[in-house]
Amino acid sequence: MKKKLSLGLAAGFLCAAILAGCGGGGSSETEPQTIGEPTAEAEESAQETEAVEPTGAQELTFVLNNEPDSLDPSYTNNSFAAPFLTNLFEGLVTYDENGEITPGNAESWDVNEDMTVYTFHLREGLKWSDGTPLTAEDYVYSALHVMTPTTTSQYVNMMTDYILNGQEYYDGTATAEEVGVKALDENTVEYTLKQPTPYFVDVTSMWVYAPVQQATVDANGDKWSTAADTYVSNGPFKVAEINMGESVVLERNENYWDAENVTLEKLTFRYILDQSTALTAYENGEVDGVRNIPSGDIARLKAENAGTHTIHVYGTVYYNFNCEKEPYNNPLVRKALNLAIDREAIINNVVQLDAEPAYSILAPGYVVDGTDILEGRSTYEMSPTADVEAAKAALAEAGYPDGEGFPTVQLSFYSDDTVKKVAEAIQEMWQTNLGINVEVTSADWAVFYSGVQNGDYEVAAMGWSADYVNPMSFLPLLATDDVTNTSFYSNPDYDALVEQAKVEQDPAAFAELVRQADELLSSDYPVMPLYYKADTYLLKDYVTGVYTDSSTHIYFKHAKVAK
Amino acid sequence: MENKWEMLSSSNEEREKIWTKNRTFAGDVWFRFRRKPTAIAGLAMIILLLLFALAGPMFTEYSYSVQDLEVVNIPPVMEVYDTPDGDGYFYITQSLKVLYVNPDKTLGDQLKKVREESDMSMTIFDYKGEEVGLYYGQKPYVMADPETKVIYPSQTVRNASYLFGTDSLGRDILTRLMYGVRVSLLVAFVAAAVNMVIGILYGGISGYLGGNVDVVMMRVVDIINTIPLTLYVILIMVLLGTGLQSIIVALGSVYWVDMARVVRGQVLSLKQQEFVLAARTIGSSAKTILFQHLIPNAMGSILVTVTMLIPSAIFMEAFLSFLGIGLQPPLASLGTMCNDASANLRTCPYQLFIPALVICLIMFAFNFVGDGLRDALDPKLKK
Repeated sequence: MKKKLSLGLAAGFLCAAILAGCGGGGSSETEPQTIGEPTAEAEESAQETEAVEPTGAQELTFVLNNEPDSLDPSYTNNSFAAPFLTNLFEGLVTYDENGEITPGNAESWDVNEDMTVYTFHLREGLKWSDGTPLTAEDYVYSALHVMTPTTTSQYVNMMTDYILNGQEYYDGTATAEEVGVKALDENTVEYTLKQPTPYFVDVTSMWVYAPVQQATVDANGDKWSTAADTYVSNGPFKVAEINMGESVVLERNENYWDAENVTLEKLTFRYILDQSTALTAYENGEVDGVRNIPSGDIARLKAENAGTHTIHVYGTVYYNFNCEKEPYNNPLVRKALNLAIDREAIINNVVQLDAEPAYSILAPGYVVDGTDILEGRSTYEMSPTADVEAAKAALAEAGYPDGEGFPTVQLSFYSDDTVKKVAEAIQEMWQTNLGINVEVTSADWAVFYSGVQNGDYEVAAMGWSADYVNPMSFLPLLATDDVTNTSFYSNPDYDALVEQAKVEQDPAAFAELVRQADELLSSDYPVMPLYYKADTYLLKDYVTGVYTDSSTHIYFKHAKVAK
Repeated sequence: MENKWEMLSSSNEEREKIWTKNRTFAGDVWFRFRRKPTAIAGLAMIILLLLFALAGPMFTEYSYSVQDLEVVNIPPVMEVYDTPDGDGYFYITQSLKVLYVNPDKTLGDQLKKVREESDMSMTIFDYKGEEVGLYYGQKPYVMADPETKVIYPSQTVRNASYLFGTDSLGRDILTRLMYGVRVSLLVAFVAAAVNMVIGILYGGISGYLGGNVDVVMMRVVDIINTIPLTLYVILIMVLLGTGLQSIIVALGSVYWVDMARVVRGQVLSLKQQEFVLAARTIGSSAKTILFQHLIPNAMGSILVTVTMLIPSAIFMEAFLSFLGIGLQPPLASLGTMCNDASANLRTCPYQLFIPALVICLIMFAFNFVGDGLRDALDPKLKK
């Protein structure tokens, strides 16, 4: 009996298998699968665009993938500190949802005719997070504090470059009274500048211009920013807890001037250094947002509507050529190396970002009269993909036909997964397209960067994110003898244009100067631009009101949670 | 000898004769070694890996460094969709692009993206003038006809272009594995050579001379042993620059200390025995005694120690490379391959799994052989 049953079963399976075989063969017995209508989801997302009323606990956990070196706005220039300083402090001006300058602590400001004296009028009744009043004197103290050498501020040049007698005060040759920062009365602070600076208001949006409280700095020295009970801020949030290496908890600052528009009660910045671990935590719902995503996952997360937000950064990813060294002092060599790069392949297949290929170090994004001042500029003979023939021709013209006699290129980069992949891709492109040898070496950022600053490299991975949205945050990068000029490019004509642009007060004329400078620079190929930065972060869709500016600072002050 | 009960003639010679087959020491070892299946399996695996690493690159059409950025992150086994005209397949890449796969399962080119239909959750691609859609409103993502929304039939096929798939820069993982195994075996060879030369000499001299010489030499070993290897490698890298040579120099300069200890211990106990005394009385030099008498007698422990140290050296190289302080790109080692893959772990786990598996295999192989050798050389150790 048992035997018969199993035989029958076997026969049954056989029939089924044959039938299935037939089905696959073309006779359409089985209905072809179709995809369902995504109606429910579409409606849901349509609803979301309407105003959301906050519900549930107004608490957020946002993961950061790097720990900053300090939380002191007078000290650090570390971009990893940005999420803290953007939300804990507010300077004279800040950025709004549209990425435009908007009044912060200052209600309004005036500027004199030749743009050398800026007067900011503070709001009435400003307070520190500990409830004590914040006055114009605090701004004066903070500026002097930054320009005191013992503060060892990393951003000190952002003050000394502009403020009258700032450098002299730093060097000890001028007294505090002579420095161009004055409190005219309790609510008015005046900055006197070395030279006309039309974009000074943008500069004051940087956190180095944010006030720090003298009482806590005097009492605790440079340790004030390392413990929650000595940390005094003036922004939408204040520090509730600092757990080194683990998390920093921020809570709503009821003494903030606009506290009634701050809904979020508690904002936890948790450090998870490994990006894939952070992503797992996000997908399991343990955290509400993540700062950096592994590039391989971006496409998937986007398609899944998992809450990716792309920031269009005012910045560029590029490679420095050491323009003082043979053979990189030859513009033709630099041109050949530039033309041999397939930027599209790097963007789409290596970094897998939604980025634009770059042909100039100067990123687009500065708008005058509603149009980007760089619109319609040349690509300087580059194309999105590699132009092997032209690259070879340029190299031959430089005296290295088919790469013969070209010394081995030393390509340096800093330890980072994405940077490494890009460096390897570039290495391969140069080797196959130009027939030259390329060796890559990597080092930690600190070691790498000091090597670059000392000119101890040939070609090096670099990137620049502007500190404020103005081309002037880019142009000095390649001006002769500027501290930030690490490619040691020198061109007197270009320097002259930059000097002119620095003091030009008419926006249209300024735009024209910038265009000229960009044209002059890029046709000389002092660097190898790859793509304009785009940054992606993750935030669950029940959080609304979070916005970013083009310096990749994330603002949580209008965040609302609707779970 | 018809009659087994016949009395044998007795001679001294026959009385002394050893009637079983006479086996040499090596033959004896081999006899015991081959009785252990794991040991033989380990040996076979090592031979296979050697062949794979040395002869393999002759049979592959790829190089370890050539990138094809069109086909990054393609797994060894792909879920593909039939094309509308039935001539080939579509594969959806991890970055949501569509790759054309030829009918013989070799990889073709990426399809050109036409437009994004976000309200339909579809990306439209161009296939020979026809529009095909990548629907991402459900998981797993599927290829479908944008008009009728009919999902193309799917099947699972092997990647005929790249047997083990490609890495995040479109390089053939199989070819990189061959070079990776090469590096591992080179490290194994260097570790063995250093152990055999420096370790034996140092330990032998220390043990044989004894006294203050022994004390000083062993304290030097202690000092070397207390400094972590990672630190050595980093220091040596500062001097020599990054690369395989730094790892080899680092391994070579410190990896003999365990061997020196073992040899010293053996020599210490052996040198008390009578045959050494006998050699000394007939006037043999220290060198002769050490190399002719002591070390050959300690060979059992030496071989066992070497086979046990080799896998740890291989693992050390993989570990250092994984930390990023080993080989420089585009050179491949098993450790760097694991490191490259770890960033992509969630989307392309096979990139990590394959080199990790090979590390496991190598470790197993050497450990099995080591175990087998120990049992064969030193039967007393066997319980």
